[in-house]
Amino acid sequence: MIFSSLFRSLPISLVYCILLIPIPLYFYWGIVNQLGPDPLRFLEHKYGELGLIFLLITLSISPLFKYAKINLMRYRRCIGLVAFYYIVSHICVYFFLDIGLSIDILLSDLQKRYYIIAGFFAFITLIPLALTSNNFALRKLNIKTWNRIHNFIYIAIVLSIFHFILMSKTWTGELYLYTGITIFILILKIKSTKFYKKLSTYFNADISK
Amino acid sequence: MKILKYSDVTPHNHYLNRRKFVEALGLTSLAFVATPTTAKLSYSTSAKPNTIEEITNYNNFYEFGTSKTDPAKYAHSLTTDPWEITFEGVSQSKKKFDLAEILKGKAIQERIYRLRCVEGWSMVIPWIGFPLRDLINELEVDNNAKFVAFETVYRPTEMRGQKRATLDWPYREGLTIEEALHPLTFIATGLYGKELPNQNGAPFRLVVPWKYGFKSIKSITKISFMKDQPYTTWSSESPREYGFYSNVNPNVDHPRWSQATERVIGEGLFGERRKTELFNGYIEEVGDLYKGMDLKKYY
Repeated sequence: MIFSSLFRSLPISLVYCILLIPIPLYFYWGIVNQLGPDPLRFLEHKYGELGLIFLLITLSISPLFKYAKINLMRYRRCIGLVAFYYIVSHICVYFFLDIGLSIDILLSDLQKRYYIIAGFFAFITLIPLALTSNNFALRKLNIKTWNRIHNFIYIAIVLSIFHFILMSKTWTGELYLYTGITIFILILKIKSTKFYKKLSTYFNADISK
Repeated sequence: MKILKYSDVTPHNHYLNRRKFVEALGLTSLAFVATPTTAKLSYSTSAKPNTIEEITNYNNFYEFGTSKTDPAKYAHSLTTDPWEITFEGVSQSKKKFDLAEILKGKAIQERIYRLRCVEGWSMVIPWIGFPLRDLINELEVDNNAKFVAFETVYRPTEMRGQKRATLDWPYREGLTIEEALHPLTFIATGLYGKELPNQNGAPFRLVVPWKYGFKSIKSITKISFMKDQPYTTWSSESPREYGFYSNVNPNVDHPRWSQATERVIGEGLFGERRKTELFNGYIEEVGDLYKGMDLKKYY
């Protein structure tokens, strides 16, 4: 497996650099007017979409290892943080450029606009994950607590998908794709929970009786 | 029944037909006759038009894909010549016209209109074409017609977006007869003094500047006059979000987003939002059409 050994040998810092380059690059293209007729919407959507994609990649790493024996576990924290930085950039574009720093619009959006509410809470649930994605927190926190915090990512992905669905006018190809992947990941996750295992052993026992 | 040409002297039955519309408009027949096709210059906005690049590379035309850049990429596959338009709800025996027959004798003019999309952005577009009423007045429209329905061509082999059920194809839109006969209501066949690019709805599209952009249906092949309010695509897709009227109104929000302001295309990354105006700023021209109407109910 040249592919996977190549992956395994990449230094984390380099991965960060590569994955984060599009943030300043797109911003620069926006300033020099290279993002088409509506650069603001382009930038806002691009950061948001990339944030979602990196969240989905983060969530795929554990099932990939478990079911396909592809080991990218080393990069999970890095990619998760990259997703967070894209989401922060997405929100910055919204707040600084789209609504022009208007607290009034922000507050009214947070009261009335379901997609903004969903997106906002997705971001809030990700903050503790980002804050504890370091060795210091890992050492300080009890592993159970740490795991519980990091399971918030499933709440965040569901809210993010809702955010995307609620802002779309129709079901586009991308929307089907991201929603499909999310549902698949969630099914795998549910199947691996203790609750599900207990439930299935209970039912299996029931059938064998 | 002979082909109706603009150059024909208006026959008696057409005159009667006109009378009906005149009444519908609440104008005197004299005023109507006195304003044939000469456009009032004031119908154009003085705002600076967007560039041709902006107008032709940022389109909502789901027949070619849901992305704004899809139409520019894929619309070339649509055959726009020959082009036939079928009329229904007209009493004349000839109901199918070639585009050339329709355009013959029409006084082609430029209208610089503001376009406000329901998504919250706006542009200024220099259209070329003629007022829709110049066409309607040549037809023998059924006397009981209260609405006009329009239909976009359905050709999945040429319009790749129609292969998927993104919307209930063909795309359909409609106006009340009063709206259709309003002098602002325009049929565009060109842009920036040139032939209309396919992604902008070639060869024959509607432009209703005081309504959200989706009302301005593209690549029309059928126009029907009818008694009842017609099926319209977006308002059927989501009746709570898109009404039949869909007049631009900053005070009536889309249930999921605000309509109070709009992003002006061409202003760049740091451009300021523009305050959206009632009827997209055409209140003087069209305000009377909706006098006494509850615009929150009839959105």
